[in-house]
Amino acid sequence: MYRPVSGTAILRLLQLLIVLALVVAGNLSAQTQAEGIQLPNPGTDLWREVRQRAQPATPGPTSPMRQAPGIDLWSEVQQTNPVPAGNTQVKSVDSGMLINPVGDQWRRFRMEMLVPYGGYVLGGALLLTLAFYLIRGRVPIHAGPSDKRLLRYTVYERMIHWFIAAIFLFLALTGLTMLFGRSLLIPLLGPEAFSLLASASKEGHNLFGPLFLLALALIFFRFVRRNIYQRGDLAWLLRGGGVIGSKHVPSNFFNMGEKSMFWMLVLVGGVTALSGIILVFPILGLGRELMALSHVAHGVTAMAMMVVIVGHIYIGSIGMEGALEGMATGYCDLNWAREHHDWWAEQCEQNGEVVSVEEAAGTEGFAQGAPKHAPLGETGK
Amino acid sequence: MIGDFIDGPLWYLSLTVFLLGVVWRLVAILRVGVAPDFSTARHGGAGGALRTLFTRSLPRRPVFTRGKVQLIAGYMFHLGLFALLFLAQPHVEFISERITGFGWVTLPHWGFILAAEVAFAGLLLLLLYRLMNPVTRLISDTGDYTASLLVFLVMLSGCLALAQAYEGLRLLHLLLAELLLIYFPFSTLMHAFTFAISRGYTGAAMARKGVNA
Repeated sequence: MYRPVSGTAILRLLQLLIVLALVVAGNLSAQTQAEGIQLPNPGTDLWREVRQRAQPATPGPTSPMRQAPGIDLWSEVQQTNPVPAGNTQVKSVDSGMLINPVGDQWRRFRMEMLVPYGGYVLGGALLLTLAFYLIRGRVPIHAGPSDKRLLRYTVYERMIHWFIAAIFLFLALTGLTMLFGRSLLIPLLGPEAFSLLASASKEGHNLFGPLFLLALALIFFRFVRRNIYQRGDLAWLLRGGGVIGSKHVPSNFFNMGEKSMFWMLVLVGGVTALSGIILVFPILGLGRELMALSHVAHGVTAMAMMVVIVGHIYIGSIGMEGALEGMATGYCDLNWAREHHDWWAEQCEQNGEVVSVEEAAGTEGFAQGAPKHAPLGETGK
Repeated sequence: MIGDFIDGPLWYLSLTVFLLGVVWRLVAILRVGVAPDFSTARHGGAGGALRTLFTRSLPRRPVFTRGKVQLIAGYMFHLGLFALLFLAQPHVEFISERITGFGWVTLPHWGFILAAEVAFAGLLLLLLYRLMNPVTRLISDTGDYTASLLVFLVMLSGCLALAQAYEGLRLLHLLLAELLLIYFPFSTLMHAFTFAISRGYTGAAMARKGVNA
């Protein structure tokens, strides 16, 4: 909390500021291009120096490394060999380890792989989506919008969809701020404003992370039955869902692409959520290796999900006429259903579940039960 | 400069508006009075009023079966918010320093986080239900959405300031809380106080009639 500061605290703060200023000044003159950033990272140069000094000496009587008195010390510090357990008063996981090389491997992965390649992948996905839109345009309802509707999603289903959507977007924004902020936002905002934003993002990300797991569970239990693969799904996949060529591809309540996205969300999103929980709760007594591995898994799976969700948002909004209607109002256009989920639409029509626009406007998915959908294996024609 | 204003005058102004506004609204309701009941009371009203005050918090079967989501999300939000507001250490310290002069037992940090998670999940689900359900959407007005949005923003800014390291984030949270305090008496958020009057009146009336309601 915000308590009055004592004289000792001010002295300590001054000491810290002086040390930080020295470190920053020293590092500003030795910026590395390898990390592609222009800001000092006090740990980078220190660790590089440790590695250089601990390089194994080339055998030979004239090797200067053999004469360096600190070589053994640095070798132990680097701990590349089986890690000797040290002694310390601090009793916690890894507390006997002076420097864990896994930490350096993780840092290099984050700075040299995840940040640049993650940026390329995400930027590439956005550009690809834009290019697809410019080339293909919006997929229209070929028969035109009708005056008939089918109940597609209930209130509860739409509610949990937007629940997970809101949480995902918040987590994505805050996560991207933490991942790319150092490279992208500091030049725009300055280090102080970014520091505040990064702190806010971290706290928000950590708090909303477990809610994603809850939302994922709600989505799973509600939609799992309709996302089990059926006969006919493979044909949909082989023909690219109609994107490849101009021939119509029939499908069920959910097509193969939607089902695959569901399973990706559940499985990959599950890994993202669980690895995130490991990161949020280091108090669980987990070692550095598992924390680093969790971070790698968290970053890679989150990036994969973001790429897929970009496609999902595109096709569910501007990419296809009539696609958003189902999740916004609960009802979808009958012609849209006939063109994209024709086996399901056919069954709804046979069951007399078609309603007028006026009827749909009056209830908007108020029905409590799930929409009727084809029982497994009965519609794959 | 603006920080001093938020921390000082605006805080006292918002607190004053809140207190006077709530008292004014409650007095206005009580002054309306109740219609005289000339029938012979079968039971005393006080017991019924007190009983209904608590029993109405328990879910009844028809409510639970027809509105599980609202019920569960409603409990999550209200209990979570109560815990956050009155049992979170930063809030207890703030209330102790600025208002009461004394503090009380607080939640451990993990409890604080858990309460925040529960409250956020409840609030988001309730807000989405309000938007998605045609009935609740029809009966909701701008005031309902304003209140929900303000509460959400106060909670969100509070969670963003959890590190307690940035004055700017603390001031943002305080500013939004002050706006909420000013808005409170003039909104449906008054149900935080009026629910007791409403339940008490219903319970007393039903008890006099000998109805178990």
